[in-house]
Amino acid sequence: MNLRRLRAIVRRVVAEVRRDRPSLALLFIAPIVVTGLLTFILREAETPDVTAVLVASADTPGPVVAAIEGALERGGIKTVQFDEATARVNVAHNPGWVAILLPPNLAGGTITLVTNGLNPSAEGAQIGAVQRVLVGAAVAAAGARAPTIAHETVYGTPSTDPMVPFAPAIVAFFLYFFVYLLTGISFLRERTGGTLERLMATPVTRSEVVTGYAIGFALFATIQVAVVLTWALGAIHVPALGPIPEFAIGLGIPVAGSPLIAFLVVVLLGLGAVSLGIFLSTFARTELQVIQFIPVVLVPQFLLSGVLFPVETLPAVVRPLVAVMPLGYAVDALRQVFIGGADLASGALQGDLFVLALVAVLFAWVASLTIRREVV
Amino acid sequence: MDAAIRAVALVKHFGVVAAVDGLTFDLAPGRIYGLLGPNGSGKTTLIRLLTGMTRPTSGQAEVLGVAMPNRPNLARIGYMTQADGIYPALTAGENVQFFAAAYGIEDMARVREALALVDLADREKTIAATLSGGQRRRLSLACALVHQPEVLFLDEPTVGVDPLLRVQFWAHFRKLADAGTTIVVSSHVMDEADRCDELLFMRAGKVIARGSGATLREQAGTKDLEAAFLHFAGVGAVAA
Ligand SMILES: Nc1ncnc2c1ncn2[C@@H]1O[C@H](COP(=O)(O)OP(=O)(O)OP(=O)(O)O)[C@@H](O)[C@H]1O
Ligand SMILES: [Mg+2]
Repeated sequence: MNLRRLRAIVRRVVAEVRRDRPSLALLFIAPIVVTGLLTFILREAETPDVTAVLVASADTPGPVVAAIEGALERGGIKTVQFDEATARVNVAHNPGWVAILLPPNLAGGTITLVTNGLNPSAEGAQIGAVQRVLVGAAVAAAGARAPTIAHETVYGTPSTDPMVPFAPAIVAFFLYFFVYLLTGISFLRERTGGTLERLMATPVTRSEVVTGYAIGFALFATIQVAVVLTWALGAIHVPALGPIPEFAIGLGIPVAGSPLIAFLVVVLLGLGAVSLGIFLSTFARTELQVIQFIPVVLVPQFLLSGVLFPVETLPAVVRPLVAVMPLGYAVDALRQVFIGGADLASGALQGDLFVLALVAVLFAWVASLTIRREVV
Repeated sequence: MDAAIRAVALVKHFGVVAAVDGLTFDLAPGRIYGLLGPNGSGKTTLIRLLTGMTRPTSGQAEVLGVAMPNRPNLARIGYMTQADGIYPALTAGENVQFFAAAYGIEDMARVREALALVDLADREKTIAATLSGGQRRRLSLACALVHQPEVLFLDEPTVGVDPLLRVQFWAHFRKLADAGTTIVVSSHVMDEADRCDELLFMRAGKVIARGSGATLREQAGTKDLEAAFLHFAGVGAVAA
């Protein structure tokens, strides 16, 4: 690998993309618009059907239980009563259910809400509905020293922001999508425009070409991720000024882990996407065909990587496919960082990073094989 | 003197098509060779074999004493492809600069020199996509020349280039040859052929005649090269 030649390729790739204004705009504006829209839709969503499982401890006074049950029913929430073990089993199997564990003494005690955790977006609304009723009823029953309300989930970590599980998935998906699309198309141009043949008539090696593309696009991917993460995680409050009311820039999605680790994950994912683009450009003859690969290659990944549907709820038949979706590892890793607050010491995160790195290297190798040349 | 370019029983098949059909020849350094033949006669394929862009079905190609394909040897070879092979989004200057860097040259003076040579010095900052067809052809030539190769392959370099500039091109090719560069030019424009030191008439993957324009005309007993080509092609057809 000759560093000067490599640098020349990187510079060229960067210059080409920089001149491509529409693509550049798409790279940044599209994810911002889509995450913004999604956040709005999820946060403002209608309250779903909720079934509350009331679990009274042995010492909770009967009238208190009855008062809370009454309040829940009046609030339109179907309520049943079980012991704690049965309640947990039910919650684990029924995404719409919320278990309410009542303490012996409401005054100063803690009411724990247990949800399934697999579909936090819906649960955010469910919890909200239950919480509103509970607070009123508990204050009525316990007086001034209202109980605190804690939230735990059977799977994952609880959160009340419905956007939390989506933010990492959307960040990963957009990166994957755009890096694939831009590399696929620019490499196709390289193949059909005769520049690749020409480049292969110079002492440049195939690995320099692939690495050059990877670095060039990784630069844009990095900027894209930085912009999108800032937008998604940030919440810059702009105070009211004259007639302009106070407003906030950014979606303010809470993040538990370090955004820097999230960065590492997406960069590895992006490198894999560069190679995927180079690889698939072999099978395309026109730019339209590069786009036609999207339903074949990207949509299955979108569906099977837990972006929208939790991997755990997928039909068993397609479950084995999940293991071969690079995007799935990135989504999983990002959720661990965003929601679970995982750091580099986490074994599960290390596993995901390892797979992503492996995929990047493997695909780069395959991509370099698709650059036809008699000499390496 | 050793041959700059050597083909030994060179054969390239594409399925049933024999694009290059058993060529053996030596080309001496510092001379301009013209590959002449109709469409599909194998000119581009021969050049791709000699530059090592493709591997022969059988036989061997050598450039500067090195068997092709050979990657390091490419630094001593220039190849102007039949398609323009330039990056439309980059400026003329950036295109030449990029190929120069690919050959390991980072000297901007060399880049400007190559641009001046093809009369594009004032277009350094122009985006290649907005250049005219002939200007793009010239830019493509600059990209093949910038590293001052010892052997230069030009696949139909003058297509779309105006007559005045064509004269300049040939004057420059001659200057390079005088300085020791071996040049192989493919063309099917017969009136250019006379500017070459030697011609190789190609037909269906075979060299049907070789010699200077004057010699070939004399052998064929014709006044122009076109008629000479038809003469040799006819002979070839009878022999085949
Ligand atoms: N990659 C390829 N795959 C299949 N056949 C090919 C390929 N390249 C060339 N051929 C065939 O080989 C023959 C010679 O083609 P070549 O491009 O060498 O001709 P040429 O003399 O350069 O023609 P032109 O004057 O049109 O440029 C043609 O019949 C062509 O169809
Ligand atoms: Mg040709």
